[in-house]
Amino acid sequence: MTFSLRSDATSPMRSTLHLQGRLDALTFGEFDEAAARELQHLEEGSTLVLDLSLLEYISSAGLRSVAKIRKTMRARNGYTLLLNPQPQVGKVFEIVKAVPVNEVFKSMDELDEYLDHIQRKMLGGGEEID
Amino acid sequence: MALRSIASKLALWVLLGTVTVLSVGGILLFQLVGHQILAQTHRESEALASDASNRIQERLDMVTNTDQVLAAIIGPRPVDAEPLLRDAISHNPDLSGLASAFVPGSAAALASGQSPFVSRTDDGSLTHRDLLKDPTPYWNASWFQAGLSCMNGCWQKPFYSQSRRRRLVSYSTAIVADGKAVGVLNADITLEWLQGILQDLDKPEGTNAFVVDQQGTFLANDTTELVGQHADAELLRTLNTHGAAAIRMLPSESNNADEPIWIYRAPIKGTNWQLGLTVPEAKIYAGVRHAFMATLIVGALALLILSLLMLVIIRRIITPLVVLTDRAEQVARGALDFALPATREHDEVGRLTHAFDRMRNELAMHIAELTRVAREQQRLASELEIAHQIQTALLPGPHYLDARCSNFELHAALQPARTVGGDLYTYFMLHDQRFCIMVGDVSDKGIPAALFMARAITLAKALAPRAQSPQQLLQLLNRELCRNNDGCMFVSLLCGFLDTVRGHLIMASAGHEPPVRWGREAPHLLQLETGPALGLDEEATYPAHRVRLQPGETLLMYTDGITEATNEALQLYGQERMLACLARYADTPDEDPVGGLVADVERFAAGYGQADDITVLALRWHHAGTERSASMLDITFAASMQDVFDTLERCDQTLEAAGIEDDVRDDVRLVLEELMVNMVQHGCLEQHQGNIGLHLTLADDAVLVELHHDGKPFDPLQSPPPALSGDCADAEELGGLGIHLVRAMASDLNYTHDEHGNHLQLRFVHANRPEQDHDLQPSQ
Repeated sequence: MTFSLRSDATSPMRSTLHLQGRLDALTFGEFDEAAARELQHLEEGSTLVLDLSLLEYISSAGLRSVAKIRKTMRARNGYTLLLNPQPQVGKVFEIVKAVPVNEVFKSMDELDEYLDHIQRKMLGGGEEID
Repeated sequence: MALRSIASKLALWVLLGTVTVLSVGGILLFQLVGHQILAQTHRESEALASDASNRIQERLDMVTNTDQVLAAIIGPRPVDAEPLLRDAISHNPDLSGLASAFVPGSAAALASGQSPFVSRTDDGSLTHRDLLKDPTPYWNASWFQAGLSCMNGCWQKPFYSQSRRRRLVSYSTAIVADGKAVGVLNADITLEWLQGILQDLDKPEGTNAFVVDQQGTFLANDTTELVGQHADAELLRTLNTHGAAAIRMLPSESNNADEPIWIYRAPIKGTNWQLGLTVPEAKIYAGVRHAFMATLIVGALALLILSLLMLVIIRRIITPLVVLTDRAEQVARGALDFALPATREHDEVGRLTHAFDRMRNELAMHIAELTRVAREQQRLASELEIAHQIQTALLPGPHYLDARCSNFELHAALQPARTVGGDLYTYFMLHDQRFCIMVGDVSDKGIPAALFMARAITLAKALAPRAQSPQQLLQLLNRELCRNNDGCMFVSLLCGFLDTVRGHLIMASAGHEPPVRWGREAPHLLQLETGPALGLDEEATYPAHRVRLQPGETLLMYTDGITEATNEALQLYGQERMLACLARYADTPDEDPVGGLVADVERFAAGYGQADDITVLALRWHHAGTERSASMLDITFAASMQDVFDTLERCDQTLEAAGIEDDVRDDVRLVLEELMVNMVQHGCLEQHQGNIGLHLTLADDAVLVELHHDGKPFDPLQSPPPALSGDCADAEELGGLGIHLVRAMASDLNYTHDEHGNHLQLRFVHANRPEQDHDLQPSQ
């Protein structure tokens, strides 16, 4: 099995997809399906975390899948955050500038902090953060 | 020197000519005048002679008349004899004595009683004597006997009278009485007056007058010693000859004359005497000869003066010529800086001097110009020599052996027709085990071609690392060469990239001669589709041609200097001869075909000379074996997703086994996946799945990938870059990411398309490969 996906839905507002193996032209379909299933459970303004810690490899097909997810989440005013991409994957993301840099995180703590920040921002009436 | 000068020669020849003319004229004139002088002398001398003869005759006539009258008178009257004699003698001074001699015993003698003889003494007084009383009887004397017979008188012989001490001549007439001779009347005549007459003659100088009697005795002579002498026989014989009055007597005929003399004679009438004039011929001509001598001397002097004058004048005229001659000799020695004689005259010499001056100046200018040109040419030649060295330095060596694995060997030769030429060849290693070779020929020859060649070869070297294929290199080169190429120079070029591992050769030709290939087959031309020559059309593209060289095969590139070499018969060397020549090397792979071909061409064109630059480059593929840069994977598979990913897996494993770092491996995998998926999804032609060929090579510092697909042409390099906003979610339809990734990941990417489909060459640098010593790397 070159690719596997594990879903870790903690709440309707937040779900984490743990990607493992290779996301390429052969496996993106599988990922697309699983991701679509997962997205169904998420509400408006929720956050989807893609944990890339175990993703060894991504190709343009995988990128397109990720882009599709981001589009869907954006349509729902949600966030797609990337967690801990491996060097190869990070490089690919970098090359195609697939994701804003501030939505890629090295660790879960960083990500949590970011989410807290967003939450505070929303509660604080849309104050701009530095 | 003096005789060689024109002045001397002219003077001498003029002198000789004048002398000759004068001499001939003088001799002719001398002859003419001589004849006239001679004739005049004849006339004068004859007149003189006859005049003298007449005067003598008149004088003698008086004596002879007296004698005859006395004889006639005394005959009848002998008694009066003595007084008659005395009267007669006193009246005639020419008479020295008169004698009336009677025959003794005759009547007259008896009547007279004596034979009286009256003579004149020295003091002029007359004496008388009776001959009968002389001791010697006269009647027996010869004169008396001869006188008796002379009725009309006759001349006796001259004699010298002892008593009167003078020469006398007697005239005797017989005294006749009664018809019978009874005595003789004898008259003695002095001869001094005769001499006087002769001396009184108005004779020219040298003329000798004489009177000779019938016996040949001189009665008178200008030469007094000869008087009474006997004339010599020669003279007498001459005098006695008949004919002309003037006779020439030659010196050999005469004893006492040493030169020819002319004799004029006049007989004295009444006697047997003759009067003669002798004139030496020399005396006749003496005057004219003298005159001619004087003329000759004057003429000679005049000629001498004339010659000297001419010498001076000619020398004066030709002195500038002498100087000019000297100067001309100086010019011949190379000295041009000299003074010319000043001339104001406008004759030929003046014009010559001016012309010479102009010529000298022109010559000096020409020489200066020539020297300058020669220096210029020398400089140009040395510059050309340096240019030749520089051009040679632009070319790599004539022999190259693949040092790493002896997979191939290369021979090359370039012979410019002039010092520098427009042919070029070069070869150099590119990265990724690729080896670039090229042979080119710039239009035209000489310096422009050499400069263009330098430009082309330098550009080619500079552009080659950027080019992924020969056709691309040609395209880049073409674009560069088209720039500012107002002279429309162009270069035909055959370029090849050799895969030094497998012998794959990609070639592209820009209007160049087709290469020759042999080894497996006989030498044959490899007809390539070519593009236009470089430098003409900026938009030109160049088709690629792929060849896989088999071990032992050779590919030979050349320029038209080979095929268009011309022999004396104006035949071209041509491709047939070239192929025939190369066929000899087909079986001897170790020999250098380049040297052999060039030598053959040189032999062929020996009589005509090399007209064009000659360049040959031969590439021999040995395929010597295991190379350090190993071919790791070489597979062909159907263009399907499954096969693609199976291959990717294999690829990955292979690279991993080769110790390639993960990141490079991932890059390779990503790029290959993107490309191959693209091929499967978009590249397949209708009804044809197509095949994908993948070749993976490990080089020192890079992973080389070749990808072939017989599908639709698709150049990933030409696809536009995707719009990258920074968020993949921004794009409506996300396309072109894969290609973008490919371009970003691969260190090098090269695309070609030909009849076999798309060809991609990729290179991934892995500088951090752990094992630097490749020899220890176990072969795959």
